[in-house]
Amino acid sequence: MPSPPVIYGLFADPESADRGMNALHRAEISSKKIVVMSAEPFDDYSFAKMDHHTPMPWIAATGGVVGGTCGFLLARLTQVAYPINTGGMPILAAWPTGIVTYELTMLGAVLTTVVTLLITTKLPNWKSKLYDEEVSNGKILIGVLDPSDAARAEIENRLRGAGAVKVKATNPHH
Amino acid sequence: MATKSAEQITIDLLRPLSGISGRWAFAVAILGGVVVAALSAFGYQIYAGLGVSGLRMPVFWGFYITNFVFWIGLSHAGTLISAILRLANATWRRPVTRCAEVITVFALSIGATFPLIHLGRPWLAFFLFPYPSERGIWPNIRSPLLWDFFAINTYLISSVTFLLLPMVPDFALVRDRAEGMKKKIYGVLALGWTGTPKQWHRLETAMHIMAIAVIPVAVSVHSIVSWDFAMAPVPMWHSTIFAPYFVAGAIFSGIAALILAMALLRKFLHLEEYLLPIHFENLGKLLLVMSLLWFYFVFAERLTAWYGNESSEMAVFWTTQHGSYSPLFWTMVCCNFLIPFPILAIKKLRTITGTAIASFTVVIGMWLERFLIIVPSLSHKYLTYSWGTYRPTWVEITITAGTFCAMALLYMIFSKIVPIISIWELKAGQHLKTQAVRLVVRSSEAGAD
Amino acid sequence: MSHQWGMAIDLDRCTGCEACVVACHAENNISTVGEEQAELRRAKHWIRVERYYEGEFPDVTVKFMPVFCQQCDAAPCEPVCPTFASYHTSEGLNGQVYNRCIGTRYCANACPYVVRYFNFYNPVWDKPLHLQLNPDVSVREVGVMEKCTFCVQRIKAGEIQAEAEKRELKDGAIQPACVQSCPTRAMVFGDLSDPESEVSRLAHSGRSTKLLGELGTRPKVNYLPRDSWHGNEIS
Repeated sequence: MPSPPVIYGLFADPESADRGMNALHRAEISSKKIVVMSAEPFDDYSFAKMDHHTPMPWIAATGGVVGGTCGFLLARLTQVAYPINTGGMPILAAWPTGIVTYELTMLGAVLTTVVTLLITTKLPNWKSKLYDEEVSNGKILIGVLDPSDAARAEIENRLRGAGAVKVKATNPHH
Repeated sequence: MATKSAEQITIDLLRPLSGISGRWAFAVAILGGVVVAALSAFGYQIYAGLGVSGLRMPVFWGFYITNFVFWIGLSHAGTLISAILRLANATWRRPVTRCAEVITVFALSIGATFPLIHLGRPWLAFFLFPYPSERGIWPNIRSPLLWDFFAINTYLISSVTFLLLPMVPDFALVRDRAEGMKKKIYGVLALGWTGTPKQWHRLETAMHIMAIAVIPVAVSVHSIVSWDFAMAPVPMWHSTIFAPYFVAGAIFSGIAALILAMALLRKFLHLEEYLLPIHFENLGKLLLVMSLLWFYFVFAERLTAWYGNESSEMAVFWTTQHGSYSPLFWTMVCCNFLIPFPILAIKKLRTITGTAIASFTVVIGMWLERFLIIVPSLSHKYLTYSWGTYRPTWVEITITAGTFCAMALLYMIFSKIVPIISIWELKAGQHLKTQAVRLVVRSSEAGAD
Repeated sequence: MSHQWGMAIDLDRCTGCEACVVACHAENNISTVGEEQAELRRAKHWIRVERYYEGEFPDVTVKFMPVFCQQCDAAPCEPVCPTFASYHTSEGLNGQVYNRCIGTRYCANACPYVVRYFNFYNPVWDKPLHLQLNPDVSVREVGVMEKCTFCVQRIKAGEIQAEAEKRELKDGAIQPACVQSCPTRAMVFGDLSDPESEVSRLAHSGRSTKLLGELGTRPKVNYLPRDSWHGNEIS
């Protein structure tokens, strides 16, 4: 999938990144078109407060319930499928069933979390070219996806005004 | 710790990944040699039969199960540090988490090979797996060994993901600074990570969920391992104290292993500015608490046995305390309590070297403890005619040595491929600290107006 | 009600001659392990005569008794086997299925009587002893647990024969090798669910006691100790 054209500014610290974000908001650019990238999480700054709502814990809990059900069924059905007397213990042994159910509950929660993580972050995504290696050098990237030709110059000015160390743009004809 | 620039952190922590020194290669060669010897010993054992080990009537479990319990126990390091400290918001954990999680994954992998090594017919190990076989038979889930199967696999999968997920942003960092083939490989490993707030937030949420999930799993794993013993009517095994005793012992040996690993990493990878004396102090205090807890469990177990005066239990009791196993027993008490206690309790002695020495003795002591739980009890069961002894052979000793070398080897290779300190977590911790300082300054300025 | 096989051992009659041990080896294809391995306690004597010496010379008492798998009704070796190799049959025997055994040896540890044996090496029979192998009993390979089965091959043969001839099994018709070889007839084998059988009679006599009965294993072997042994204790 070809990457969309983008204009972005590289900011040296989170404060100027905040200013850049505010500048873009004042230009009434929709949040859906704003892209942010950083080399570390900046949860306490407003520019990084996007996409924070997630039902991940609930999904993990559901995964746990599914896992637990699988564990319970595995234990019960196999005990019934091959009923053998061992040491006078009941064929349907409650405590071991409980243990197996518990382990598979936890496994279900963990695996569901991993899968949910990969799906919601759309990883692995080796094809996207939307990245700048300066981000690894500590720069915070704030940019606008698919800007209209008219707005391009204004966006550049706003980003520079907010303190962007560099402003780059990808050519829409690439 | 003096606040470092993000760039300095990156340079320092990526330095171990570039280049291999002659000293490293030499160490790897030696360790690798021992591991190869251990694998050959195992191969020989499969070929000739378990007779090449020292096992015999009535001691049917010896060094292999000792190693099994020991390594699974050691793997509780990562869980404690990563998960519990993460949930408790202990910020000093940040440089330490990955070291700990790596110990967990490797120790668990090593421990999980022992059910295979100790089997009489290891080529039929798949019988333990619940699959619809053409024989129409399923495994017996009443057996604690089946609980082991589920618990250890769950813990292994959880620990591996707990280790791998936060490695992705660091892979992205290495990818961005690498060239050629290295860039391609790390690019694949980084999964195309770009660092959007969504990715960061989902990653941190996932880590939080897994931290909550992995703690009960770790507790259950070592409880279940302890029940391999407690469920059998063997004198001094059939005790209700086993599950908490083993979990406490596991965390104890885990912290000791972590301190040792950190001390070695600090020295050989020149991480003096990241693994600070305060980390060793804090972990040293935790180790002290676990040493006291270990002593408490041993005391409670032995007092109960002695007071109960049941003849078959007392036979095992006396053979460990006064009899043929007493040298090992008292060495264990020294290593787990008498030596570490003063070192860790006296602040002046609780230095990096001090905690490392204490940790080294604890690792030895905990290995001895596993041995002393298994062998004296099996040697002295109910009918005195069947009492026996146990002596390991070169096969068991080689394989045991091989596991320690395998751990060191895996660790050394890992620290060359992945930054052993989580770079993004460290940076995040730094700017949280400066942000907090800034808020304090701002509020005090406001108050001064 | 199906048969519930059990045994009674009259320790007054037992002389400790160990003919039962030899007979068991012959009947059940148990190999000898050689002097070196026997010193390492790896000999596989499914039935062994335990000896306990008391007192100082010349006032020594020897208490001895044959010990073998007690086929416990609440066998601790059965729940712990992960592959159901050790299980309880409908006729009250503890069955050992060699093909399922992967050699975890958990059952051996759980058995309080230490009557389970492990094949540390592949069994060997020097020629011409291989000609003496019993075709009714499988030969176990290295890594497999084995133990006394009450000569289940003879039990099955007797039952099949009786069914084919459309008659009831007579008490005493089936004899495991040890019972058959005992010169003083100290060992009795039979159906504990039949109140008229010899073994039931001995089991309900006042002298009958169970080895390690206090552990709750519910063994099926009834020991009748000598009156001269203090308080009928075996220790």
